[in-house]
Amino acid sequence: MGAPFDFSYVLDFLPKLAATLGITLLIVAGSLLLGIVVGFLIALPRLYNVPLVGTFSKVYVSFFRGTPILIQLFLFYYGLPEILKLVDVDLSRTPVLLFVILTYGLHTGASMSEMIRASVMAVDRGQVEAAYAIGMKRHQAFSRIILPQALGIALPVFSNTVIALLKDTSLAFTLGLMEMTGKAQTLGSITQHFVEAYLALAAIYLAVSMTLQKLLLRAELRLRKHEAPEAPTKQPFGLRRKGLRRRFAAGLETGKGGVKL
Amino acid sequence: MIKLTNLSKSFGRQQVLKSIDLTVNTGEVVVILGPSGSGKTTLLRCMNYLEQPSGGEIAIGSFSLRCRRASKKEIHELRQRSAMVFQQYNLFRHKTALENVMEGLIVVQKWPKAKAREKSAALLEKVGLAGKLDAYPSQLSGGQQQRVGIARALALEPEVILFDEPTSALDPELVGEVLEVIRRIAKEGITMIVVTHEMGFARDVANRVVFMDGGVIVEEGTPAELFQNPREERTRQFLKRIAPVPNYSI
Repeated sequence: MGAPFDFSYVLDFLPKLAATLGITLLIVAGSLLLGIVVGFLIALPRLYNVPLVGTFSKVYVSFFRGTPILIQLFLFYYGLPEILKLVDVDLSRTPVLLFVILTYGLHTGASMSEMIRASVMAVDRGQVEAAYAIGMKRHQAFSRIILPQALGIALPVFSNTVIALLKDTSLAFTLGLMEMTGKAQTLGSITQHFVEAYLALAAIYLAVSMTLQKLLLRAELRLRKHEAPEAPTKQPFGLRRKGLRRRFAAGLETGKGGVKL
Repeated sequence: MIKLTNLSKSFGRQQVLKSIDLTVNTGEVVVILGPSGSGKTTLLRCMNYLEQPSGGEIAIGSFSLRCRRASKKEIHELRQRSAMVFQQYNLFRHKTALENVMEGLIVVQKWPKAKAREKSAALLEKVGLAGKLDAYPSQLSGGQQQRVGIARALALEPEVILFDEPTSALDPELVGEVLEVIRRIAKEGITMIVVTHEMGFARDVANRVVFMDGGVIVEEGTPAELFQNPREERTRQFLKRIAPVPNYSI
């Protein structure tokens, strides 16, 4: 492919690509925001067993998690205007960026809803009962007791979702959007130095992912500060296994301690 | 005064409580005994509407509700008049001991923060945890956690405190400190209903002991009556299993 490898091109491309980082981050931020809202809307009916909406949620999640993001992009970009044309809504002048954010947002919403559902269910039911017993109402128990703890549980999964989303946005170039990957493609075509362009691109993605991961890890530590900080971090293997088993046994529901006759 | 009339509860077809009548006077300490599955915990949970009773009436003080047609507002009112201490403590794990006690005062009773903190700190001191105000539940022993749970219940000054096997999840050497705290607050004249298997505690502290089996109250009486001269055969059998009369003959 093209010209012989020349490292100076990598350095040359780096700032040019970084200039389009804004669009990539805009897609990430926009679809995260939309994803969190959609995630709650999809997760809550299933958590509280709302009959019809619950089924819709299930179908929604299976669709977005069971089909490739690339196909979803095509379906929304080419399909949605066709459908809306039937009801006389013209989308032909809508910027591509909006389609991209919508698709990634809905896509992320599916993983977010699963994440929200799992972490809310992971909060000990007894604490909710305790909250009711001291006279809290349902929404108070949710926002003051469940949510803060669920956030701590959800954060590791959330980090994964954010990083996966960042990398997935590279597919938006297929719709002709000039985000980072699109830009790299163009730079490569102009100069015929494709490898250098992709190397620079990879370096930027890596730097951004690692920064995001660090930030989210710090947030996670802060949200989970209530978990015994003096818990041993390094222990010989045998000891740790024993400790784990003990902790598992301690966590088991002992049920009612009634005397069996 | 707490008055249960005709209280019943079914899980599906299984009837767990069969029209229970129970009156507890203000300042009285009532201990509920009974074998596993006799419905004592369910009875306690029904009083706080953590379990929805299938029928009957619950009255606490001047407030009463009919279980079948209780509105959300009535349930909320009922819960504000009682407090519960759980077998598994059920402390809010993301909050410190102090914040656990303050939570109800701030959120439910709308106290200003400073005042709530002052009262909560005093209560924690009372249960012997003056040095642990800022500890998270994960940093406390089971006994300490349960004492926080008791302080949390006391903070709301309920008309009755319901104890659901408060010492059953504790290591044996920690049972004493929790019972001691309960004993102390019982002396202050707070109305309590306690489900427990601690016979010594029942004997010393209870004004009245209620024996349940198969979803009904089999018999009730003062600890002296019930432990020494149980009228019913089932009570006798139960007490024999719990505290067998030693027999050293060979």
